[in-house]
Amino acid sequence: MIQFDQVTKRYPGGNEALKNLSFTIDTGEMVFLAGHSGAGKSTLLKLVAGIERATSGSVIVSGQNLSKLRNSQIPYVRQHIGMVFQDHKLLFDRSVFDNVMLPLDIIGFDRRDAARRVRAALDKVGLLSKEKTMPIRLSGGEQQRLCIARAVVHRPSLLLADEPSANLDRAYALDIMELFKSFHQVGVSVVISAHDETLMEDYGRRIIRLKEGQFAA
Amino acid sequence: MKHYLYLNWQSARQALGKIVRQPFGSLLTLLMLSIALALPLSLYLSVSSIQEWAGRLTATPQITLFMEQSAEEADLAAVSSTLTKHPRIQSFQFIGKKQALSDLEKRNGLAGLSEGLTDNPLPDAFVVTPKTLEPHELEMLQKELSGLPMVETAQFDARWAKRLYGMVEMGKQLTWFLGAALGIALVLVTYNAVRMQILARRDEIEVAKLIGAPDSFIRRPFMYHAMWQGLLAGLAAWGLTSWLVVTANPAIHEFAQLYNEAVSLRGLTPVELAVVLAVSALLAMLGARLASDHHLRQIQPR
Repeated sequence: MIQFDQVTKRYPGGNEALKNLSFTIDTGEMVFLAGHSGAGKSTLLKLVAGIERATSGSVIVSGQNLSKLRNSQIPYVRQHIGMVFQDHKLLFDRSVFDNVMLPLDIIGFDRRDAARRVRAALDKVGLLSKEKTMPIRLSGGEQQRLCIARAVVHRPSLLLADEPSANLDRAYALDIMELFKSFHQVGVSVVISAHDETLMEDYGRRIIRLKEGQFAA
Repeated sequence: MKHYLYLNWQSARQALGKIVRQPFGSLLTLLMLSIALALPLSLYLSVSSIQEWAGRLTATPQITLFMEQSAEEADLAAVSSTLTKHPRIQSFQFIGKKQALSDLEKRNGLAGLSEGLTDNPLPDAFVVTPKTLEPHELEMLQKELSGLPMVETAQFDARWAKRLYGMVEMGKQLTWFLGAALGIALVLVTYNAVRMQILARRDEIEVAKLIGAPDSFIRRPFMYHAMWQGLLAGLAAWGLTSWLVVTANPAIHEFAQLYNEAVSLRGLTPVELAVVLAVSALLAMLGARLASDHHLRQIQPR
């Protein structure tokens, strides 16, 4: 699903976020990314989503070599990925329902089928009763679950989550991990980054530990 | 394909809905656009009304061919058939020497003039109305006609023709110039309006890009918004010019009456209205396209 081959990412200014990194994540696998902030977790996820481009080496996602794609082709790669952000990146000028509708609008789903899918996704994260609410009135945990609903509504084959539980208390964080686990169980590849390893260890999944852009010992 | 049309239809509907829901937000832009359109349109209507009137004037340039005294029936017939076939001649009138003399007697109270003359001194003549108003072409035509067999001279009043032509030409040039200048203004106004919209919706655009929206998806609502605005501005400009025609015509009629002329300002024909609407919509979309190409590239998710 994801293949990094000697990937280096250097930001303008000389800061090397990833150093000569090679690894593979299989289709249907659930993997955790661990490391302190600044270890390169976010950069790694951004390379997978085509938000940043590798300085050298190749990043292959679902068989597509992202380094060789033109900028105009990147959106179509992203349409097969669901992304969950630490800061949610919700749109506060529209309802919970319309936030989740956005990815389906982009793909151009028929409106009636889309509405059914949006409600299914909201139901999955337990927000169906709040579909008409504006996101600003949701709690932090609810906003994160809304972000997850938006990430999965178009049934991506790959789910990326950058510190999804960073600002949540432990009970909420576990909730969210359970959600990701349930997507993994239906065949979605899942990559979750976090700086708190205690959450990951209970799951017995592969953990990629990063330190200063390299694998930690 | 069906899906693509559906997306566009959705976008068009939503963009119109937005304008209808927030009419005051787009009112200022709409006003600017419609005034920018109404100015050259009014000038265009004025010039074409003048042109129409000038075309009806009896004093349009005419070329008079005077035949030689020795010209015979066969020569007259030859010239007449040449004139009939000539592509640049609208119509012509034959005035025979006898008719010319009797006209002269009638008009100037010279009854009995012919009785004092042994020979009719007047030549046969053709009065030719050309199709063109353009002075250079008129001169060419004059030269050509004067070269016909048995034609003595071909005369026309060049100064009058030049003046009339010059005035109409100047009006046309002015219309084009003003039209082009305000067409550019229309593009710039929509460019700026769309730029503001893009900047105001920066967050939304960034999120949309993050979850896989191609540029065409992000651009589409702006394009349709511009299209509707162009169409509405075109309609508003049509309203403004119609109002001008209705309010100005009584005064123009009254003024023209003083000279015994029937002049009136005309409104846009349906075809012209369609052209105006299409052009204003296209120019507005051009502005939106330029603005989105330029500014969407600057918004990249981090």
